[in-house]
Amino acid sequence: MTATTGTPGRRETVEYSTTSQEARRRALKARRLRRGWAALALVVPAALFYGVFVLRPLALTFQYSFYDWNGVTEATWVGWDNYTRLLGESEMLGSIVNALELIIYFSFVPVVLGLFAAATIRKFATSRLAIISRTVLFLPQVIPLVAAGIMWTWLMASDGLVNQILRAIGLGSLAQAWLGNFDTALPAVGAIGAWVALGLCMLLLLAGMTKIDPALYEAARIDGAGAIREFFAITLPSLRQEIGVCVTVTVIAALASFDIIYISTQGGPGNSTLVPGLEIYYLAFFSREIGQASALAVAFMLLVLAIVLPIQRLTKDSDS
Amino acid sequence: MIASRREKWVGNVLLVLLMAVTIVPFLTLFVTALHPAGTYPSGLEWPEEPHWENFASAFQAANMGKLLLSSALIVVGVVPVALLIATLAGFALGHLRPPGHRWIFLVFLLGLTLPFQGVIVPLYYQMREFGLLNTRWAIILPLIGLYMPFAVMWMRAHFVNMPTDLSEAARMDGANTWSLFTKIHLPLSMPALSSLAILLFLWTWNQFLLAVVLVDDSTKRTMAGALGAFQGQYGTDIPLLCAGSILILTPTLIVFLVFQRQFVSALLQGAIKG
Amino acid sequence: MTIAACGAPGATTGDDTKPTAGNASASGEAPTCGSDDVVLSAYIETGFPLPKALTEEFTAQHPNVTFDIREDQFAVITQNAPRILADNPPDLMRLPQMSDLAKDGLLLDLDPYAESLGWDEWPASQLLQMRVDDEGRRGDGPLYAMGLNYSMTGIFYNKEIAAELGMTEAPQTLAELDALLQKAKDAGYNPIGQFNGGATGGLAFPLQALMASYGDASKINAWTFQQPGATIATPENIKAAEHLDKWIKAGFFADDANAIDYATMMSRFIDGKSLLMFNGDWESGNLDAQMPGKAGFFLLPPLEAGGKVGAMSAPLTYGIAAKAKNADCAAYFLDWIATNDEGRTIAVEIGGSHPMGQTGAFMPEVDAESVTAQTLAAGTTIGEDDGAMEFIANATGEIYAKSWTPNLQKLVAGQQTPEGLLTAVQADYENQIGG
Repeated sequence: MTATTGTPGRRETVEYSTTSQEARRRALKARRLRRGWAALALVVPAALFYGVFVLRPLALTFQYSFYDWNGVTEATWVGWDNYTRLLGESEMLGSIVNALELIIYFSFVPVVLGLFAAATIRKFATSRLAIISRTVLFLPQVIPLVAAGIMWTWLMASDGLVNQILRAIGLGSLAQAWLGNFDTALPAVGAIGAWVALGLCMLLLLAGMTKIDPALYEAARIDGAGAIREFFAITLPSLRQEIGVCVTVTVIAALASFDIIYISTQGGPGNSTLVPGLEIYYLAFFSREIGQASALAVAFMLLVLAIVLPIQRLTKDSDS
Repeated sequence: MIASRREKWVGNVLLVLLMAVTIVPFLTLFVTALHPAGTYPSGLEWPEEPHWENFASAFQAANMGKLLLSSALIVVGVVPVALLIATLAGFALGHLRPPGHRWIFLVFLLGLTLPFQGVIVPLYYQMREFGLLNTRWAIILPLIGLYMPFAVMWMRAHFVNMPTDLSEAARMDGANTWSLFTKIHLPLSMPALSSLAILLFLWTWNQFLLAVVLVDDSTKRTMAGALGAFQGQYGTDIPLLCAGSILILTPTLIVFLVFQRQFVSALLQGAIKG
Repeated sequence: MTIAACGAPGATTGDDTKPTAGNASASGEAPTCGSDDVVLSAYIETGFPLPKALTEEFTAQHPNVTFDIREDQFAVITQNAPRILADNPPDLMRLPQMSDLAKDGLLLDLDPYAESLGWDEWPASQLLQMRVDDEGRRGDGPLYAMGLNYSMTGIFYNKEIAAELGMTEAPQTLAELDALLQKAKDAGYNPIGQFNGGATGGLAFPLQALMASYGDASKINAWTFQQPGATIATPENIKAAEHLDKWIKAGFFADDANAIDYATMMSRFIDGKSLLMFNGDWESGNLDAQMPGKAGFFLLPPLEAGGKVGAMSAPLTYGIAAKAKNADCAAYFLDWIATNDEGRTIAVEIGGSHPMGQTGAFMPEVDAESVTAQTLAAGTTIGEDDGAMEFIANATGEIYAKSWTPNLQKLVAGQQTPEGLLTAVQADYENQIGG
């Protein structure tokens, strides 16, 4: 989270006038008060939308989570029951575990690959090919995730391109229905997420690398550092902020994944690709256990905060 | 910086490889779309005879005309309003800093990492109460609210960096808060605003969850939501599904290619500030 | 901001009076579509031509009535049903399992129409599965849906492959079928091209057929209709599940069964890649068109020759939303399908299944060589053996998606035992009925 950086005291020191100290102070105070109200008024529209469509639903999610409600008839208070069931049912817990596992594919893979790729092409980041690649590698960021899901479902089908390639290079024994297999479905879904995130991560990291002072590298070269030591001694430490950004964005994408899975596996086979986002949707609108869905939603939001806040703290400087 | 020939070679190969991995799924989609409707083509395989008419039938089946209009209406409903009110709030919190501005900002930040799934259930019942289910308002209004944390933070970050002297000078000349905003700060915020506009456009156009939950009629959805409905209906006819997907992707791709520079910088900045 | 948080949710939505049929039936008159323009909103299952063919013919006969049709795959309809019925109520809708929908007052009670239109004079068994009582048990209580026709499941086989394997007549015992499957496997064919992917586990079809061979159809129905004390984990059913597991282990299903969806199964069968598939007669018309003369049909044979057979047999259920705007016209349309000669012809020729309605009502001529003729004949056998069963996946609203499907997928992957499958489903079942 960004720390507020304002220095509210600053403006007071500006004005010097000839009127008496007392009157000056009073006039200033009145003006500031008036300006203060005017300024607050400017925040009102945004706050109103935020309040009605985010804060109120947020409060209601908490409220619903203590009820047994089917959305139609009157709800009954059940206290913490929905939460205890949350801990007891493997389906819901499993969805959280799956989301955590997705972090590996959605976040770890693109960040590591992106670092590697960016480090490799760092020195000619301005070549024509690199410029074209900026556009191309951004394509997955621009299309809806639903479309990515549709494409990859087809690519990873039994007769899809992935298996076609495997067979062509003599790895036909590995060919399988990637999204239909208990062991491969989650990694396969993860691969879709990695595909989406890779370009963004690489370009972000590349942008960070071009900002590193070349003198640092030259100094390292003179000291006789090889490419690998250079990478660990200079590149990596200088990229703390960019890596933090990549990790944050992709971790949120992993935990909150919905679109891709809704399209490609609907959580199956078994519940091997079920994630909290999808489970909330199923519980609320299909099983119509709105209280249970809300309890999961609360736990889910807390989980996201518990994971994302430390990452932010670790990687962001105290100032934004 | 001098790159050795070998480094350059390795780098170029890697770049081409990365680009290929990015492009091939699109190609597969395209090639598959040319197969006879209702068949199960396998992998990447050029059809004996390309069936271009699939695009025409998908255009009709997907109701593309209506979809485009609907998505455009939703974008028009969301983006300008969100930009305006986020700018006002960002200006107030970042530049005017009224009493309590830190707290207010903190409350906005609370929503920054909020996954939409966390509030989707009450949103549904709230929209039902308002009688807005299955209308475009059910997507437009919540989206404006859900964008506020990011948009306010974005605009605040911009206004925090505006020098205070500028405003003081204007105030000396007798400008009130409003004219200070419209005459001086707004024109200076255009770059920040246009980047934000691009991001909001993209997120709105590609919004899936809200569309799927709050609007049943696919002709009142966003593009991504409509694509979901199209998959729900034609998921059994792969070539038609692929043709429809391409059609639904095309407008975004065109807009992206035209404004690619702005998109890339907006997305990179957007990620960093988020 | 949180004023609404004071009361319990749902307390203020006070429109929960149980709805009954629309205007016409209140007065005891038979409903009609009148002569003013009517647009019936319909939410139907995609991929099947029957509903659209019926609506087109109906509009041809009643030009003032047109249809506004939305289509989705069945899994999507299943997910959407409660929401759509409550907040965007269609006049006609393809229904998934309906006990919760009826219990929560989302469906229109059709009994008044049944009376005024004379459906109560039809064989009562036709409507039994569509009756739901106050507690959500089916088989009794008010009528909440109507069938477009009356479908039945069994085994479709590819006649060319069968001939190649030396099959001259349908297997008479389960052992003969096992031998045939092994032959197909040895000859390099995929013996059973069953779908089991995504949100719908298609192995429930062979499993239930095996249950009927090992046990008694009426016991299975008792469970599906939520009769008190019924269990699915009976010794007979466990044997049936073990038989299914034997087929899985023998490689009779496709390697990628967990990734095959319904449409893939159909396309592989039509392309001659699999010897047989467990499916319903709703595909008879389609198969007659796509592979004329090449598809055959038989019921899963009994354990011993001459034994009783059973089959899943259920109406293709369509309901009317409790808040539907044009309930009268929708009811009239449903009646028209069962009573109009053209409607019945479409139900058979395009739908492939037996029409609803009175015994002895009009039946179209069917080519004796067609698979449609074979499925209709099998329907008669089932009737004689009293072997009609409701689909086990329809026991509760969630049992298919939440229990049968994941557990059957696990069975295929070797992560679930036959007995474990049934006990897991039974546990979920009790949970869902109790909760």
